[in-house]
Amino acid sequence: MTNFHNYSLPNGVNLYVYPTDKFKTIVFSVYLQQNLRRDLATRTALVPFILERGTGSWPTSRELVKVLENLYGADIITEVFKRGERHVLQFLLEIVNPLFVPGEKDLERSGVEVLKEVLTNPVVEGNGFKESYVKREKELLKNNIEGLINDKVSYAVERCVQEMCKEEDYGVYRLGRVEDLEGITPDNLYKYYRELLDAGPMDIFVLGKVDPEKMAILMEETFNFPRQDSGEIEPTLVHKEIKEPRYVEEQMDVNQGKLTLGYRTNTTVKDEDYYALLFYHGILGAFPHSKLFQNVREKASLAYYASSRLEKNKGILLIASGIEIKNYNLALDIIQKQVESIKEGNITDYEFENTRVGLINQLKVSEDSPYYIISRHLDGIISGRLQTIPETIEKINKVTVEDVVRVAGKIQLDTIYFLRNKG
Amino acid sequence: MSIMSQRQLESDILKEKVYTVTLYPGLEVFVLPRKGYNKKYASFATKFGSIDSDFLVEGEEKSIEVPDGVAHFLEHKLFEEEKGNVFDEFARLGASANAYTNFTMTNYLFSVTDNFEECFDLLLNFVQSPYFTTDSVEKEKGIIEQEIRMYQDNPHWRIFFNLLGALFINHPVKKDIAGSIESIQGIDRAVLYKCYRAFYHPSNMALFVVGDLDPEKIIKQIDDNLEKRDYKTLGEIKRIYPQEPAEIQEKFVKEEMEVSQHLFNMGFKDRDVGFTGRRLFKKEIATELLLEILFGRSSELYNDLYEQGLINDRFNASFVAEKDYSYVIMEAETPDPDKLYQLLLSGIKEFKEKGIQQDDFKRQQRRVLGEFLRNFNHLEFIANNFLAYHFRDINFFDFADIILELTKEDLESRLNGIFDEKYHACSVIYSR
Repeated sequence: MTNFHNYSLPNGVNLYVYPTDKFKTIVFSVYLQQNLRRDLATRTALVPFILERGTGSWPTSRELVKVLENLYGADIITEVFKRGERHVLQFLLEIVNPLFVPGEKDLERSGVEVLKEVLTNPVVEGNGFKESYVKREKELLKNNIEGLINDKVSYAVERCVQEMCKEEDYGVYRLGRVEDLEGITPDNLYKYYRELLDAGPMDIFVLGKVDPEKMAILMEETFNFPRQDSGEIEPTLVHKEIKEPRYVEEQMDVNQGKLTLGYRTNTTVKDEDYYALLFYHGILGAFPHSKLFQNVREKASLAYYASSRLEKNKGILLIASGIEIKNYNLALDIIQKQVESIKEGNITDYEFENTRVGLINQLKVSEDSPYYIISRHLDGIISGRLQTIPETIEKINKVTVEDVVRVAGKIQLDTIYFLRNKG
Repeated sequence: MSIMSQRQLESDILKEKVYTVTLYPGLEVFVLPRKGYNKKYASFATKFGSIDSDFLVEGEEKSIEVPDGVAHFLEHKLFEEEKGNVFDEFARLGASANAYTNFTMTNYLFSVTDNFEECFDLLLNFVQSPYFTTDSVEKEKGIIEQEIRMYQDNPHWRIFFNLLGALFINHPVKKDIAGSIESIQGIDRAVLYKCYRAFYHPSNMALFVVGDLDPEKIIKQIDDNLEKRDYKTLGEIKRIYPQEPAEIQEKFVKEEMEVSQHLFNMGFKDRDVGFTGRRLFKKEIATELLLEILFGRSSELYNDLYEQGLINDRFNASFVAEKDYSYVIMEAETPDPDKLYQLLLSGIKEFKEKGIQQDDFKRQQRRVLGEFLRNFNHLEFIANNFLAYHFRDINFFDFADIILELTKEDLESRLNGIFDEKYHACSVIYSR
């Protein structure tokens, strides 16, 4: 049971409405899913950028933005992200709760209509999207993909994932590949978009001071376009045999070396061991009390940041740290010792307990943000594990040190990536 | 209780009420009850930032000059206690604690769902108990050196400080917040204690607490905590800044880095400075509205530049309004910095000739008000901003009222005031 009221619209779109007085806004968020594949990723990522350029009713971005500004700055925020080998497009619209702007009528209806326009009624020329929009947005997507290099911290993490998953679709960047852009035309992209809209799994969330029944009617009236809803998302590849860890080095003009280690955990959000994996991640590197922060930073003064991150749908764990280039061996050694020590069951009560309360705190806090409430529910739909916060807390409370050690035993180092200076 | 003064700050538009007291010896306390939230958030800040490296405490004979980066260094070290690192204690209670230093303030904060009282005591205690040892100070230098190097590799950070260096001749705002690898070598225990004694006196600090909490209880908890510390009052702290001329240092600074595309920053130095309070807030909001009209997504200029391929959607214009320094900054990624520069200058010029359209003004007024309301979903946003504005003698809640009372003429006077070609500079990072 959750606070969401579920509806299924006649065209196969799932609607989830969460009525609450807690926030000063109402959030509408549409998610459209596609398989994450190397040959599709660029097209999938380009679609939202084109849709934001204008609609049948407001054919330029300038006109569209003006409409949104008049709705008290109700920006449409589009995002493109990966959840395992699943590519997700988000179109999020946040409007002010009408309670705070007295005298305004039908803000909700106007907002929902703009959102639908953007999603379903793009500017069309002949059999395709408007050519000048596609041309410009292709250039910008190219800049965007290449721009990853500007932030060396993110770059080093992304590159490790790319190297590690070279042979898997997961290795493709969320915005796709520059080399695919040339083959994209206004016509073939438009055709692709129509298929995506027609077939891709679509979920809509509404959260705020709304009446669920009335909202369901409004959404059914607005999102009334016919769809096949026939698309299926294929499962994510999780297990991969590793003979020997790979070492990849890249040289650039940098002051600081960036060390990233990629691990296969062989455990995902779908497994019973998932909660033990959360503990593992917490003990190793998700918190300031974690082994990485304590040993790499606090004890050895080698780094400003040293932490781990987890991709729970793919079962990948990444360790990232920024270090003095000459300290590579020392840092690598300390990091690997931390990983080993959990395997050997070297977990203190302090580390275990702090992780437990830390995880529970994170969960409870997530209820204070409309975005987190929605993304938690979306993750639940994707993983097939829809749980309330008390249910999840119960699972967390059942995890033992032995569970963590067992999970640690399944974790394998796949790739060491080092970004260093030239010379 | 040793309450020096007490009042309530209310906003009809936001439908919020902040309980406010001043406790002996001068600590400002703000409590905002928020029903239904699990999270409780507290932030304890001092008006001590990277620009405060030369100061005189009333009653003392000599001013004190300290190395650059000391406020940030102190922030790192304050987490250390005789018993160990206070992060550990927060972790035990399931809280997440953090801190940050910027140009004008240092802020210590935590958020938690349960155990609020214990966590709050922890915050009050650790911020008021400095414990610096020679060893731990030395050790921190390695960590901060890596932090500085990380920022040196960040092109957005570099281009920004290059711009500040071009706009300002003497003011310490042009220096990196963390100082430099050289300057932090000059920091030791004695320096940290000297700064601590001046800037961490309660009369230079403020506390903001937000969550589903009882204000009376919180105020009592703080009062009890302060009472046992036997504080004396502290004289006024006089911050000494070098005299800053209206003119800029240089028109153009450039550098090369490993970036995908050239980065471009342009700044206009504001000469209308030297005041705080509502007047400063009004200036800030009027200028921000003006920037939205001139450079925002629905402006003619933005759309022209976007169509010509000279900017992408990361183009941004913003305004910084502190008491003694203030500037407009525009940021872009561009294939052609020279052309973008020319077109921005001519665009501003044309706009000045045409003036502001009433419907643009009204629309942006709605947009900015809506954005402000949206941000009030986020407790961290409220607390951090409230304190930052408080240190400039501004009541953050006035935002909504000021937005509604501004006129097109207010914006026009800012338009003519700030966009003077004599007082602008550019900073470019060329892609290698």
